[in-house]
Amino acid sequence: MIRWRKRTRTSRSDPSQLVPPEGVPVHLKIAGVGVRMAAQITDILITGCAALAVVFLAVFLNAVSMIGFLAIASFAFFLIRIPYYVLFELMWNGQTLGKRIMKIKVVSHDGGTLTTHAIVLRNLMKEAEIFLPITLLLSLDASSPIGSLIGTMWVLMTLAIPLGNRYRRRLGDFLAGTHVVHLPQPILLKDLASGRAPAAVDGTEFSFLPYQLDHYGAFELQTLERVLRVEGNVDQVRHNETLSAIVEKIRQKIGYADAVTPNNRTAFLKAFYAAQRAHLEQRQLFGDRRVDKHHATAEKDP
Amino acid sequence: METAQLMRSARFRAEREDSWRKLEALVEEAERRGLHRMEFDAAKELAALYRQVTTSLAIAREISLDRALLDYLEALTARAYLSVYAPQERLGGIVGRFFTQSAPQAMRRNWAYVVAGIMAMFLGAVVGYLLYLEDPSWFYVFIPGELAQGRGPDASTASLRAVIYDEHSREGGLGAFATYLFSHNTRIAIFVFGLGAFACAPAAMLTFYNGIIIGAFMALHVERGLGYDLGGWLSVHGVTELAAICIACGGGLKLGTAVLFPGDLTRADALREAGRDAVKLALVAALMLLAAAALEGFARQLIQDPVIRYVVGWGIGALWLAWFALTGRTKT
Repeated sequence: MIRWRKRTRTSRSDPSQLVPPEGVPVHLKIAGVGVRMAAQITDILITGCAALAVVFLAVFLNAVSMIGFLAIASFAFFLIRIPYYVLFELMWNGQTLGKRIMKIKVVSHDGGTLTTHAIVLRNLMKEAEIFLPITLLLSLDASSPIGSLIGTMWVLMTLAIPLGNRYRRRLGDFLAGTHVVHLPQPILLKDLASGRAPAAVDGTEFSFLPYQLDHYGAFELQTLERVLRVEGNVDQVRHNETLSAIVEKIRQKIGYADAVTPNNRTAFLKAFYAAQRAHLEQRQLFGDRRVDKHHATAEKDP
Repeated sequence: METAQLMRSARFRAEREDSWRKLEALVEEAERRGLHRMEFDAAKELAALYRQVTTSLAIAREISLDRALLDYLEALTARAYLSVYAPQERLGGIVGRFFTQSAPQAMRRNWAYVVAGIMAMFLGAVVGYLLYLEDPSWFYVFIPGELAQGRGPDASTASLRAVIYDEHSREGGLGAFATYLFSHNTRIAIFVFGLGAFACAPAAMLTFYNGIIIGAFMALHVERGLGYDLGGWLSVHGVTELAAICIACGGGLKLGTAVLFPGDLTRADALREAGRDAVKLALVAALMLLAAAALEGFARQLIQDPVIRYVVGWGIGALWLAWFALTGRTKT
């Protein structure tokens, strides 16, 4: 009872879940503070360099005097960065150059289209949240301790807001109704259960009886899948040890009498995986969803 | 072989894998080139395949226990969703709509907040004026040194006049423009808007304080018989600039009221709802500040005659008012 309640609460409030208008929830992992900071710094570097280039060009062409240099430089920075964020996020659907490099993206919090209003608002708030504190901190002098105190407090507050909520939203995200996610990479791996049924070295096929497949649930199946997908640069000796331990554990649990020789281990596990998955999927079709190996005891639990 | 044919989820995957691969290619193209630059057929197919893959995902969650397949479908659906529901607006349309419709409409919807902002500044000016007349030393209390630029109760009337009718500009036009933009008033406007979200009070107080400064300044010059000249000097850019501060204050007050009185919504939702109009007010204020800085940097040095200064300043003010009052009206 207690376990069941807990499970529904966590699944309901999973922050990485987003419901598109089609009604099928998708998972988009929330981007953390670190990666967003990195994207932000990249953007600041890009816009800052562009502003400096423009100002140096102007100085070089004698269009401006050196007297108002700092004011003009900060003005150029301001004029470049305001449209930079808004235009890029509009053009690239919620990605600036920095975000693109870091493979993160702004999405609408309610699953709808990212609106112009939201993009403009979250980037204008960036002025108040990030650039204002930065200019404040840069222009701080020791003569006004109250000013520096207020400035530091503000910086700490804006930095603390994303840490205080599970969506890692900053103030502008709250106002605009957005949050930032990692872009998922769709990679389709080979189906382990497709193709020829794996057989032992001497050609005999492994067969499992239905009662032997009643022990495990989806969690164990998918753990086995992860182990079977391990390939490439792994410590071969340790991997073989793991496989051997798994084979022995399974044989013991399901009461599989025949011994499995070392060069048959992978074939045995693949065959078991295929048979187990077919069995579990069939049970699932009949409404018997087996989450893990405790499924038999969990059912009796009211 | 037999297991593969028997197993529903493997069959399910084999039947649909081609369309998933196709969608993958289309999504990549949409992300690279943008949805509006794609061929009509490709865009149509993207939408259709996206809907198919959402169904595939829903079915796979029910029938398949293949983690690799589920992860792939999750990622593919999410990517396709993001490119199908991308913003479809064209840039020119957005800018045009802002000027002709959304900005003036937002101003008209929120006239009460803007009036409240104007009232805060006006009351501040009256208080500053009266306090100065009572005791000129109040001037030093209210006005920070760098803003006064040597103007104060101790300055001679001639030097005050010299600031107002400054024949030789200190810097080049553009440099002065940039300097003025980041001057005191712009910072005030940003703070007034941003601090409004903290329950109105800081925004109203800051506007009030800004009014006090203006009031004290006015009183100083009126006392020396320069009231008319100061009015002209201020009018050139001040009409636009002070109006911008009042509008920014209006936006801040709008956010603050949403926090104080959220009604049936939660505070976060109310703030978001209020933000729709408040951000338009902030954009209008930013635009006016830019215009004011241009006026301050260029026009104020060129025009030395007080009458023309009044005409230019208030004329531009009237233009702003006409924009807010007349454009974007729809027949009802």
